[in-house]
Amino acid sequence: MSALTFTLKSTLAFKLDCRRLTPNVLADLSLSQIKNLSLLNTKNSHKVSDFFEVSGENSPSIVFKNTNDQLDYIGHKMTSGQITIEGDCGDFLGANMQDGTIICQGSVGDRVGDQMQRGLILIDGKVGDYCGSRMIAGTIGVLGSVGKYTGFAMKRGTIILKKPVSALTNHSNFHATIQDCGTHTLPFLALLFQSFQTLPSKFSGLNNQRAQRFAGDLACNGNGEILVLV
Amino acid sequence: MQINGISIDDSFAEAFNMRATRVIVTALNLKWAYHAANAMTGFATSVIGCGVEAGIERELAIDETPDGRPGVSVLMFAMGSKVLMQQLETRMGQCILTCPTAAAFAGVDSEDQINLGKHLRYFGDGFQTSKLIAGKRYWRIPVMDGEFLVQETTGMVRAIGGGNFLILATSQAAALNAAETAIEAMQQVPNVIMPFPGGVVRSGSKVGSKYPKMFASTNDAFCPTLKGLVQTGLSDDIESVMEIVIDGLSFDDITKAMKVGIEAICALNKNGKNSGVKRISAGNYGGKLGPHHFKLHQILAEIVK
Repeated sequence: MSALTFTLKSTLAFKLDCRRLTPNVLADLSLSQIKNLSLLNTKNSHKVSDFFEVSGENSPSIVFKNTNDQLDYIGHKMTSGQITIEGDCGDFLGANMQDGTIICQGSVGDRVGDQMQRGLILIDGKVGDYCGSRMIAGTIGVLGSVGKYTGFAMKRGTIILKKPVSALTNHSNFHATIQDCGTHTLPFLALLFQSFQTLPSKFSGLNNQRAQRFAGDLACNGNGEILVLV
Repeated sequence: MQINGISIDDSFAEAFNMRATRVIVTALNLKWAYHAANAMTGFATSVIGCGVEAGIERELAIDETPDGRPGVSVLMFAMGSKVLMQQLETRMGQCILTCPTAAAFAGVDSEDQINLGKHLRYFGDGFQTSKLIAGKRYWRIPVMDGEFLVQETTGMVRAIGGGNFLILATSQAAALNAAETAIEAMQQVPNVIMPFPGGVVRSGSKVGSKYPKMFASTNDAFCPTLKGLVQTGLSDDIESVMEIVIDGLSFDDITKAMKVGIEAICALNKNGKNSGVKRISAGNYGGKLGPHHFKLHQILAEIVK
């Protein structure tokens, strides 16, 4: 069974809201129904087929191809399954996500995982500002660089970064309410990285249990953490 | 029935239904995994006084444990689910939480889930965090050596306890040597534990006592020093009797362990050697108390052929 694939037909001169293209919204639709689906729940909304070639079979696994940074809200409120983005995407990736897995093989805009509640977002490239903002729980991993205010107002959850710490601190990248807890060996990372092994992400090759731990956001109880792998 | 000059009684072991769970205990190295598991399975020889019967099932290589560290698997048996849950939580709290570098994971799948770290997490005093990894919830509890990692629940399964056989020998040393040989072989069998010290018990019991408050007392018919006093079950040449008790996850597991153990003892007499073992028997209560009967002759039928 090949995954349900959305291939962007051309470059976009404007932002496109992709929040309806999640496994749970599309679950019971046929391929033609998906093609005719309105991208937004409005009267004059564009249809999916206006922008995307749709191929493959409907399944819990969705793939986006030929993407760019204009595609916002991918994986918004998704509750299950997996979304793989074979390229860059825009803002609010996995916002309000409730479960499932999102993998982006390129770079992402601002507000990754904003208010996400559960699930996993792995990004091979870099991300913009406010990564994991207002995060309630779940896991976000970023291999590239991060913008400003990562983990702003996060309540719980884990953000895993791989950027050298010196680069982070020099740029005052974190908000003042994100506190450095020192560098530690964390056994749970072995389990976490093991669960990444079969995923189509560069994270599948990692097996590092050493991390500098930042706790926060202390303005929101501080039960979340940013782990910078060392 | 005779095997290598050892007579096998036409008797059976009588066993009971139990509830069981398996916990995988890992640590920085095997030494500390054993420290944790030994503490957890300490004082767990018999449900009568200890609540549970527990033991180390086997060592686990690093590719067999969830966190990729060396570990051991622990089996724990109780007469009911309530006792099992209570005992598991107390033992987790006092023996695994406390043991340097130790972590604990579910070792058996089941629809029935019992708490492993679910309540233990409150030791974290608000600093505990959980992580849902591949559908399983783990707790990370900050402790002085770093972080204590424990899975939220483990499975509880139906199991059988009380499989056994008796070794009757011409001397104490001979009986003990035969018992050790059997235990060594039986430790290779999966899904079973022999909960008594070193796997062997010398104080077999009968139901009842002359003292009204005692439910069980020494099995006088098999006490060699009482041969002239009571209706003895021992012939003149028997000077010592030892018992091996087996708890297992299924009937077949216990059958296999008994077979392997008795086989190992009988092999001691190969090529005309004399191990001092004269007879193998089994303990039962007439067959009315326990639903599972392990018949020695049936178990050993293949060996005789």
